[in-house]
Amino acid sequence: MASLTHYIVLSSILFGLGTVGFCTRRNALILFMSIELMLNAVNLMLVAFSNFMGDMAGQVMVIFIFAVAAAEVAVGLAILIALFRHVREVDITKFNVLKW
Amino acid sequence: MDLYFWVFASMSVLAGLFTIAARDALPSAMGLLTVFIALAGLYLHLHAPLIAIFQVAIYAGAILILVVFVIMLLMAPGERLAAIQANVSYRGAGALLGLCLIGLIAVGTKGVSEIVSMKALPEGFGNPSMFGDLLFRDFLLHFEVVSVLLLVALIGGIYLCKKKL
Repeated sequence: MASLTHYIVLSSILFGLGTVGFCTRRNALILFMSIELMLNAVNLMLVAFSNFMGDMAGQVMVIFIFAVAAAEVAVGLAILIALFRHVREVDITKFNVLKW
Repeated sequence: MDLYFWVFASMSVLAGLFTIAARDALPSAMGLLTVFIALAGLYLHLHAPLIAIFQVAIYAGAILILVVFVIMLLMAPGERLAAIQANVSYRGAGALLGLCLIGLIAVGTKGVSEIVSMKALPEGFGNPSMFGDLLFRDFLLHFEVVSVLLLVALIGGIYLCKKKL
């Protein structure tokens, strides 16, 4: 039977992968997907703790994270499309108009 | 029982690696889809069937489809996204950062299984009726606030997609 530590380590691996993806990639769409990966890692942690502590509140929190992720993707992709209209590019290093 | 965990855990980690390492955005999205499905399998194992269903329906069914639509919208036919310039030191630093983060969390949570006492799960733990009971009684205010958040995101999304911003 997998223990809580197994789930925590798995979740931290997924979160670490998301962080690495966010820090090293330059394609804005892949950055979004890295953020989704991190949010999913947090969801896994919440559900694991909910199961091992016998408390359903963790699962309810996951629903709220779903809602936040949906809002984030909707607004983020809208911003990306608006940016794309100006720059014709999804490479984040090209979005440097505000760079000093 | 343990095999179930290892199959889905390795599946999610490999797919996660593929997500961040894929050259183009579309294969990357497919990797992310695999992560979502694998995590849904783990949720079933953790007595959270409703979350598993939502994971497939909302994440894989709605959020990822939105991302894939945008990928297809932004990539003109025949045009491939520019190849990632291999910057070894940059990527090495990123990998080191990620490994440090994982190690830090793993060390910090060592022995947490003993601290968090494994309670006997209450009767009907994880079934949707208990979930709904909790969501619409104890977390009703949060639920309403989240609905306002979604409305704001909806309006913001529509506004940002206007032709003339």
